[in-house]
Formats: sequence, structure tokens, C-alpha cells
Amino acid sequence: MAGAEPLLSVSGLGVFFGGGPDEVQATKDIDFAVYPGERVGIVGESGCGKTVTGLALLGLLPPATTRIVGSAMFEGQNLIGLSRDRLRRVRGRKISMIFQEPMSALDPVFTIGQQIGETIRTHFGASKAQARERAIDALASVGIPSPARVHDSYPHQLSGGMRQRAMIAIALVCEPRLLIADEPTTALDVTIQAQIIDLLLDLSTRNGTALLFITHDLGVIAETCTRMLTMYAGQVVEDAMVDDALVRPLHPYTSGLLRSLPRLSERGTVLPSIAGRVPTLRDMPTGCRFAERCAHRQVGCDQAQSIARIDATHRVRCHRHADFVLPGALTEREAAA
Amino acid sequence: MSTPIVTVDDLRIRFLTQDKRETVKAVDGVSFSVDPGETFGVIGESGSGKSTLGRAVVCLLKPSEGRVLHGETDPYMLSSAELRQRRRAFQIIFQDPNAALNPRMRIIDSIREPLDIIGGTSRAERDRRAREMLDRVGLPAEFGARYPHELSGGQKQRINIARVLTVRPSLIVCDEVVAALDVSIRADILNLFADLQREFGLTYLFITHDLGVVSHVSSRIAVMYLGRFMELGPAEALARRPFHPYTEALMSAEPIPLPSSMRETRRIILQGEIPSPTNPPSGCRFRTRCPAAADRCSAEEPAWREMEPGHFAACHFAGTVTTRLP
Repeated sequence: MAGAEPLLSVSGLGVFFGGGPDEVQATKDIDFAVYPGERVGIVGESGCGKTVTGLALLGLLPPATTRIVGSAMFEGQNLIGLSRDRLRRVRGRKISMIFQEPMSALDPVFTIGQQIGETIRTHFGASKAQARERAIDALASVGIPSPARVHDSYPHQLSGGMRQRAMIAIALVCEPRLLIADEPTTALDVTIQAQIIDLLLDLSTRNGTALLFITHDLGVIAETCTRMLTMYAGQVVEDAMVDDALVRPLHPYTSGLLRSLPRLSERGTVLPSIAGRVPTLRDMPTGCRFAERCAHRQVGCDQAQSIARIDATHRVRCHRHADFVLPGALTEREAAA
Repeated sequence: MSTPIVTVDDLRIRFLTQDKRETVKAVDGVSFSVDPGETFGVIGESGSGKSTLGRAVVCLLKPSEGRVLHGETDPYMLSSAELRQRRRAFQIIFQDPNAALNPRMRIIDSIREPLDIIGGTSRAERDRRAREMLDRVGLPAEFGARYPHELSGGQKQRINIARVLTVRPSLIVCDEVVAALDVSIRADILNLFADLQREFGLTYLFITHDLGVVSHVSSRIAVMYLGRFMELGPAEALARRPFHPYTEALMSAEPIPLPSSMRETRRIILQGEIPSPTNPPSGCRFRTRCPAAADRCSAEEPAWREMEPGHFAACHFAGTVTTRLP
């Protein structure tokens, strides 16, 4: 990736909600880049700002109650503060997004075909017949059997897995450079999840589409992404290659998330957990935001933490990162091997 | 061997579809028993009938055929007063911690409600017992005065646990109880279940779609598909050497957080989706998605065979084929 220009470069991104004296800050100082064709995961517990970050990039947060600072450079233009008109030319064309619950993201009163056709006709000005043909091709390319029948079906007539495939077909029909996928497999069974992951990997490799994959499932990240951002309480606390983060995480929160997975503990033993919970937005500590739940807290942790670059591909927001060797996602035996 | 706490004998549960033209065979011939103090895991995809099975075990659904015994008693042979009495010992906790709590009731009132319904004790005694359970699930006393919307998902699930504990059950059906929770909170709740099991001698029927969770908590695991068990065995043996291709496929579909160099590259990706339970495939009901299916599989329903002591599988080729490439 070195040398290439990033496709998306986010810097100092912060989202505020509410406005006036009651305004709260949901995310702060988000910095990261996604290179062309790269697959980047965002992990963290609920309420860490993963989804808000995705929505902010596409201007999908309610403008009346949201204030966004910072920048998100994409193909030479800043997505933050882009006019509605210009944003519409990016959304669905250059950057697409898919969501956890395809049933609520699809419009129940239009057929799948009408919903794909809308995207094609908006961005390419194609005729109805051309749009139909292209939509059926798109449905076939996401592995939907009998795509012509599904084209004329309504969302409620499809299973959860088929709806998610249809969503992906809509998102990818314009061959965007970047796909933001927000928990796209969380509502699906594990066998269907495996199919969808396979499909996303295949499409991303085939078309060179970059992927920003938001999930709380570290297994899904490991199978899909090459790099991962760990978010905590509205900040990126670690940015690393997935393989590095799994073996040797540098932030205690990343390590804690990995250690609480049941596969690492023998049956019937106590599972390690991260005591406490994410601080609320009104109650955000001024120092390290994770300190209250951190087993390694000491002097200096009450200071605000900046993100430090360790090497070309690893950054961490913890001033103590050099003091300890944290366990990752491997069992003792695996780590020794 | 002590008497099983629950015995399920060729259980079948059928529902009529909305237009009353077809029958959904949600549970279609399941037999097993659960010993006191064990955790019996049931794993399967949505539509496999695992929740229906859980509901039948606590008498929320009446068997269409077959029996569910509580100890040696068939609850449906009891008078309704006796049944109500007996059901107390068999409780269920559901997946969505919000849906199970009345948003207009204070937490302490929700926890006390089962005792209020049972009656026979003073209000002070019931309050005392509700507070004790609130403490036991690790929440401070002041939470009693709060309302559900003021609590996180994990805290609400603790309330649901406290609530069933008030009636001193002997068996709890846990239906996807951690599915809606974040991973670190999930670990806390699973630890709490383990503590309570030791302290109160509880038996669990643990229903989940999460293999990691089920292998961590269970002593035995049953794998369910389209209303029937495909495999049943001791947790370790089942994970180490599954006999049924469906179990194997489920396990290989589970995404594992390991670096790319350490992951098995050959995954079995099952084609298609679980068929409709109104009209399950002939012979082996898994055959339409099975990578190892042969002619015999559509003609003949596989027998439930004991492959190793206590380890059963319903596959003609159990133990002789592996769907995984060498």
C-alpha cells in the first residue's frame, strides 16, 4: 500500500449531537485512511461510535441536530460539508453503504428490481429496459438463484440471506470504489454469514472495491479484513494489521475484547471480561477514556491520550503501550507454536 | 444414575400456517433427557425448531405428539392448579432483555412479580427476597427504583435472571440469552450463569446459535436441523470429532479470530438455505444442502445411531465420510 494515494483519508473527524449547551460529542479526533481495494475493519462495543463514523462519512446524520468537524478526503473532495447535490453524486455511485437489517433498509412497497433500477437510472440515466437488464445481472452476480424472479419480488417475499444479497446488489451495481458495511452479517445465521462473507470478499477482490467493515465480531474481521481499527468511547484506540492485532495487541481494550471470547477459555472456566461499561457521552473522562476499566491504569492515565505511531502500520492510543506485553486471540498453545 | 430432570420422548409440535392449509412441523420427533445439574446445549440455525423445543420443555407449548416429563411426571396429566405449581421449577429466559420487562414497572416490582403471583408470603418477605436476588445478580440496591429504559442490555438481562431465581427453579431454559449482548458483557453474563449453577444446583437447557458459547457452557450438545436432532454428544467429543456433516459444516462456518497463517483454509460453505418445515425433504432432511449426499439419503431416513458411548448421530455415513477435503 505504501506509495499509493489513500482512497479515503479521514482526519480530525468529530461528531457532535444536540447543539447548544446540551451538545455532546459522540466521536473525537478520528484519523484513518483506506487505500484503494483495501479491506479495513472497525471493531468495538455498542456505543463506541462505529456506526456514527460510517454515517458521518456519507452525510447520513440528521443535519438539524448534528455538527461535524474535521475532514474526510475522498478522490480530491472533502465529504464533510459537501453540498447535498454533490453528495448525492458520490453516494451510491462512488461510496455505498449496507446495513445490519436489510428489511428496514429496503423499501417494502417497491420491488427489488425497482430499487436497483432507481440507483442505475439516477447515476447513469439508463432507460427502463437497460436498467432492468443491468439489475438482473447485478442480482445474478451476488449469487441469487433465478434473478429475474427476485427482480420482481418485494422484500418481504425473500429470506434474510436473500435480502442481504439484494442489498449488496443495490450497493455494488454502480461499482463504487468504497463499500461501507455496517454489521452486514450480524442478523444472519452462521452458515448464511459464511456465504455473505465469501461473496463480499469475492466482489471486493474482483472489482477492487475497498471495504470499511463495521462489526463487533472479531472472527468476522479476521476473515474479511487486512487492517482493523479498534474504537472505544468515540475514539480510535488502535490501528493495526489484523494479524498483528490478533497476535500482539498494543491497547489493553483490544486485548480485553479478544480475551473475552469463549474459545480461549477451557470449558466451564471463568471467562475474562472487561469490568464496567463504556462511559456515557455526558460523562466522558478528560484523561484516557478506557482508564476506568483498565487493569493497567497508573500515573499518567488521567492525561488525555494521543495516538502514537509505533511503526508504518501500527498506531495506538496508550502511553503505557511499551510497558507491557498483552495477550491476543491465541491460546497459550497456539501462541507458543 | 439419578432420575433425569427432564425427559423428552419423541416430541412433535405442529402449527397450522395462517391460511390453515399447511402444517409446520417445528419439532418433528426429538428424544433426549437432561440430568440434574448439567448444562444441555442445543444449537441450530433459525427455523431449526430449537426455541419451540425450549418452550415445550417449560410447558409453554403443548406437544402435538410425544411427551415431556418433568422428573417422572407428565405435567399434562396434572390438574391445572398442580401444573401451575409444578411449572415454577421450570423457568425460561428469552433473548431480548427489553421485551421481557414491562417498561412501566420499576425494576424491583418486576423482580418481585413472580412471588406476588404465587402469593402465600408477606409483602415484606417478598420485597426482601427480590432485593436479595437483585444483589445476587450483581446489581446495586438502588437499581430497584429504576425503570428498564435506564438500564443497559446486560443489566436488563441480569434483572431477567434475578426474576426467575425468585421462584427457586430447578431448571432454566436459556433461549439465546447472550445473543443481543456485546462480547465483554456476554462473558460477564456467562460467568454469572456458571456461578448461579454452582450455588443453586441449577440445570440449564442452553439454546443458542453460537458455537463458541455453547461449547464453553455445555456438558452435552445437541445439533438440531429442521425439527430433528442430527447429532448429540459430549461437548468435547462433538467439537473434536463431529460425526454429522451438518455439525462439521456449522463448525467450519464459525469465523475464528486467528491470524491468516493459522486459519484452516478449507471451509465448507453450505449452499442454499434451510428448507421449509412445512414440507421437509424426504429421507435425510439435511440432504439438500449436504456436500456428501448420496442416492440413499433421499430414499431412507437415517437411523439415530450411537457412534461412541453417549454420542449419537443421524447420518447413513456417520464417521465414514468427511466433507472436508484432505
